[in-house]
Amino acid sequence: MTSGKKRLSYSYYPGCSLHASGREYDISTRALFKALNVGLKEVPDWFCCGATPAHNVDELLSLSLCAKNLSLAEEVEGDLAVACAACFSRLKTTQHHLREDDTKRKQVEIAIDGPAALGKPVKHILEILAREYGLAKLEENIKKPLLGLKVASYYGCLLTRPPGVPELDDCEDPSIMEDILRALGAEPVKWSHRMECCGANFTLSRPGVVLKLSNAILESARLAGADCIMVACPLCHGNLDIRQKEIKEMYGANSSLIGNIFGSDLQQSGDTERRDLPIFYITQLAALAMGVASESLGFESVIIDPKPLLKDKQLL
Amino acid sequence: MKNKLMHLSNETMNVGFVKKVEALSGSSVRRCFQCGKCSAGCPMSSFMEHPPNRVVRLLQLGQGQRVLAGRSIWYCASCETCTTRCPNKVDLAAIMDALRKLSWDADGPSKESYVQLANRLFIENIRTYGRQYELRLGAIFNMKSGQFLKDLMLGPKLLSKGKLKMFHSKNRNINDIEGIFKRIEEMRKKGEAL
Repeated sequence: MTSGKKRLSYSYYPGCSLHASGREYDISTRALFKALNVGLKEVPDWFCCGATPAHNVDELLSLSLCAKNLSLAEEVEGDLAVACAACFSRLKTTQHHLREDDTKRKQVEIAIDGPAALGKPVKHILEILAREYGLAKLEENIKKPLLGLKVASYYGCLLTRPPGVPELDDCEDPSIMEDILRALGAEPVKWSHRMECCGANFTLSRPGVVLKLSNAILESARLAGADCIMVACPLCHGNLDIRQKEIKEMYGANSSLIGNIFGSDLQQSGDTERRDLPIFYITQLAALAMGVASESLGFESVIIDPKPLLKDKQLL
Repeated sequence: MKNKLMHLSNETMNVGFVKKVEALSGSSVRRCFQCGKCSAGCPMSSFMEHPPNRVVRLLQLGQGQRVLAGRSIWYCASCETCTTRCPNKVDLAAIMDALRKLSWDADGPSKESYVQLANRLFIENIRTYGRQYELRLGAIFNMKSGQFLKDLMLGPKLLSKGKLKMFHSKNRNINDIEGIFKRIEEMRKKGEAL
């Protein structure tokens, strides 16, 4: 697809979370693409990709569900845009395995009762913004640069790992989020936990795991002086936003855990009050910078209210 | 910690199990030389009784049953850090998937039931609705795990924020999904798929 003369246009797989707990990710993705004049058409009647639980216990089921979705996506023109990091990872993994492994592909084709459609490129919205729409054009179209906003960009697990599968950026030291943030006028902070796991779907079965891992992520971002965290995954968002108050109650200020993880640095920084960290989706921040009204970005759905911060930075 | 001696012999080593794991995961178990990078980078190793490198070592020694009996495999978050960092290209995340599948098929002797229950309900939702129905997932998980008060305050809050939907409509092509489940079951019955 070439930018410039022809209007960019994509088929779109939102995934289950974006129709429910991550609804603001869907809302802001659509708003952003509209503002950028990039086409986005939802694949009709898509199914759940199976996410982590399916491949955890049944790889063939996981591959078949994704293959079915990929063949449904063939009905809509344009490369397949995916916003959820988990759906993105599963769809890319399926393409990767079925291209490399004939036995698996044949089994999947029996399961979905049809040929596996592996031709359509699957693209995360991060790469659409940074590489296809392009950073320069993004910068050109800014209405309201995010000046003075210090953002910890959080990649989590599935956007970049494992090697050779998502092909989004370097597995261990990516920069695509920071590049976009700079183009939007924001200031990406350097921090330690941008590639660490938030506890993912343990939020249902073992929430204690999420509290511990997400606490470390939030503390690391605070320590780096971030005003907020930017994510590109509805599960990461849920764990860092919905569970943030619970994390604060559980670990509190000056708890021994903070000392264990960060030594005495935190005490020296004087940041012991555990200020709330708003969690933004990449699409919310990008759309704000493009001048989209904040009312149409789903901020009413998040738990940690980002408005005080945005007002403080004169972005509202 | 008290260490029990492990007696290795033809009677105590199950080599066939390791071969199954290798076939399912498409990864070698034997290539591991125990550098420990997987466990060093694992965000979940503090929750496991056998950290990832020891899981592989136990497999190498034909001690698959010890691995399945523990909770380690169910506390893997599938973050792929181990696979990414392994210097010998052992795909540990895929090995964990394979181990969970073998435990799942054998109706698992594992101590960890909550994660298994969550997985089961998640997959049930796909089969019934085609998509996730998060409210049902949470409600039935609490009922079946006996944790009636878990996240009790969170539900109404998320409903009021529009993050949970009270009702859920079935996907129009729900029969296609049922077909996928059925054909996979048939293939397995006939021994055409693992």
